[in-house]
Amino acid sequence: MKSKHAMKAAGLVLIAVVLAMLTVQGSYALWNKAAGSNGGTVQAADFRISLTDTQAGSVTDMTLSNGTAATLALSSTGVGALLPGQSSYAGVQVNNLTDAGGDFTVRATTTAPVVANNPGSSLAQYITVKAVTAGSLAQCSQPAIYGQAAVSGTAMVDVAKYGAGVFCFQVTLSATMPASVSGQSAQIAIPVTVNQL
Amino acid sequence: MNKMTKGAIATGVGIVLMVGGGGTLATWNQAQNGSMGKVVAGDLNLVPASAGVWTNASGAVIAIANYKVVPGDTLTYTQPLNVTLGGDLMVARLAVTGASAADGFGSNATVSATTLTKADNKVVAATTDLRPADSGIVTASTTFTFNKSTTDRNAVAASVDLSGIGYSLVQQAPVDSNNK
Repeated sequence: MKSKHAMKAAGLVLIAVVLAMLTVQGSYALWNKAAGSNGGTVQAADFRISLTDTQAGSVTDMTLSNGTAATLALSSTGVGALLPGQSSYAGVQVNNLTDAGGDFTVRATTTAPVVANNPGSSLAQYITVKAVTAGSLAQCSQPAIYGQAAVSGTAMVDVAKYGAGVFCFQVTLSATMPASVSGQSAQIAIPVTVNQL
Repeated sequence: MNKMTKGAIATGVGIVLMVGGGGTLATWNQAQNGSMGKVVAGDLNLVPASAGVWTNASGAVIAIANYKVVPGDTLTYTQPLNVTLGGDLMVARLAVTGASAADGFGSNATVSATTLTKADNKVVAATTDLRPADSGIVTASTTFTFNKSTTDRNAVAASVDLSGIGYSLVQQAPVDSNNK
């Protein structure tokens, strides 16, 4: 019976000690002083690149709000039926819209154009595409700028923060296209990749 | 004048003479001051010497509230601290508290352990004993690195709050300290 009382008393004393220690919160310490850093918050920039169509002026971010890559349908000059040996032109402007605090230059690169037939068409093999960079979208319809470009080649442009770069495309229908494919259509896809430098 | 009156007068004169003698009722005695002086407490204090400053990799001072980092960026936060230590047996240790992880950046960024450096460029470790002679400016430095290896659009618009980082200066008990 006595030991039971003793244990109860010991328990109460222990609780009292713990409560006392918690209440005074570290009063075992000697002098001490704390200072804050006020370091603030470090925020990452947005990697935002937009594409502007030469002809229609339509604009889209390369990355959509759902995180997927955007597709921009380019309109071309000389809309209508192309005759064998003729060319049509299109262009896209790459805009670096980052909010980065420091330098943020990106490199935009076109990969080889992919020409694909629409269902029931065999036109693709008679289409050639050239890609070049230009100083402005207005230059895209000037045949001279495609003189040195390779068919199905790639183009590359560096774009500084808040800057813009331009890709121009020349789509040519082969002069040897047989009359049997007249009226057919094909799709041309030119992937654009942008990397931070 | 009767005898009673004469006796009272004589007694009064005698007492007045004794008062005039200035305590001559006591035996010889002497007083002396202790010359113990004052007991003066030392000091321990830690305050920012000036506002902390963020710089980017090129050394330019930036306003962190408006600055957005990109992969490859390295930011350094420098905070001068004024350490005051006084007392003959004063020993204290300066440490960093509340170190932050890279938070929203995940593995794409690293926040370095904060380093503390005295004016003579000696590093103050958490176990370094500081004494009154070490009073003065200690510079705290923390580096945020946004890894160049970050791919795709990882960590775009991420953030990490570093305001939780602090510094503490704690006295160490003298060797022969009491238990009070």
